[in-house]
Amino acid sequence: MNKLPTIIIIESSRVVFEGLNQIILNSGIKCQIRQVVSISEAQSLLVSRSSFVVIINPSFIQNNIKEFTSIKNNWENVRWIAFIYMYLDKQILELFNGIINITDNPSSISYTIKNAISSENPANASVSENILSDREVDVLRLIAEGLSNKEIACKLNISINTVITHRKNISQKTGIKSASGLTIYAVLNKYISLDSSN
Amino acid sequence: MLPESVHYINKDSELSSVLMKYPVSVLFIEHFGIHLPLSTKTIKEICEEYKINPELFLTLLYIYIDDSRSSIPVLGTSDVPQIIFYLKNCHNYYLQEIYPEILDLIKTIHSNKNTPEISLIKKFFEDYFNEVKEHLDYENDVVFPYMTLLYDCILKNKKCNPASGFSVTEYKTHHDDIEEKITDLLNLLIKYLPADADQKARRKLFSSLTNLDHDLKIHTKIENLVLIPMVEEMEKQLG
Repeated sequence: MNKLPTIIIIESSRVVFEGLNQIILNSGIKCQIRQVVSISEAQSLLVSRSSFVVIINPSFIQNNIKEFTSIKNNWENVRWIAFIYMYLDKQILELFNGIINITDNPSSISYTIKNAISSENPANASVSENILSDREVDVLRLIAEGLSNKEIACKLNISINTVITHRKNISQKTGIKSASGLTIYAVLNKYISLDSSN
Repeated sequence: MLPESVHYINKDSELSSVLMKYPVSVLFIEHFGIHLPLSTKTIKEICEEYKINPELFLTLLYIYIDDSRSSIPVLGTSDVPQIIFYLKNCHNYYLQEIYPEILDLIKTIHSNKNTPEISLIKKFFEDYFNEVKEHLDYENDVVFPYMTLLYDCILKNKKCNPASGFSVTEYKTHHDDIEEKITDLLNLLIKYLPADADQKARRKLFSSLTNLDHDLKIHTKIENLVLIPMVEEMEKQLG
């Protein structure tokens, strides 16, 4: 899961590719970037279990929407971003997870890409239920006691990265991110009593 | 909301019809200092009247109506004063209107049903409100004057020494915290807070929080995706 995401840019223009490439590099997004010139070439790079963002000019799929939809369904670990030069039909744009306009400023381009990378993978989401595991409850209790990630790691004898993963899962399941919000959640769900939260 | 029709709004659209279709934008125009009534004036006419760059107005209007949108074109730094004006008006709305309103609703719920859980929520919000105040004061007192200074230097073509200890990166992370806690509060309210709390106040609270959540989201987007790139551009120009 900690593998760097790969961004595949399907674009035949070197000028456009270099521009996008530079913007992504400058934005500090940690990723690998590949340029390909066709969908089939992109497909040969896709492997499951890694996360991918494919940036594609929708003109590549305009006449092959059916084929594109089936590729999309085959690769649930891929987020698709449309890179558009001109006005396009809403029906086509709806097939994508994000849209970049050629006139967009670099900040909004990197924002769209970051969003695509961090957007939940539907394949993963269906696996986890919304009930906290025992270990997650342990972590939650310690968050509510006001411990830092490092302290929680020490106390439970696990690595900081594991603590961070637990926290992420807790937030995803509960919808609550801040430590103070999670503390209230823990009280409301009787994971801790009010006395120990003070 | 029907984001697809966003594309059909242009300079010649009547602003009043935009408001009828997207009632949420009544707050948006207020942030620009535009007041009702709008008569049958078009966006272009209103922008002329209020001396707003219509390109900027439309760009921000699109994101305000459709908050999944993050497509923002390169805008000239000449729009900096207008953006700061907009953001300052947002701050006034937060500090003087919506946050106090939310706090009052939480207090109402609390006084009707004084449970330890509601006390916790109240304390959560009060602490959070203080954080927000601090952040908005920082923006009003440090960030905006810094940006205005950069803008003036460029306008008057003079050298300036913008050493202020201001950090764009630090500034960005601060924002996420502010939004995050509103989402947390919404989740607590909708999913977890026991049913015995005052339902009417709770519904009003929910509606105020969603309004605030939306406005804050756009506010952050404007700062991070419109204003900060301009500041970086100005810093570059000034060397």
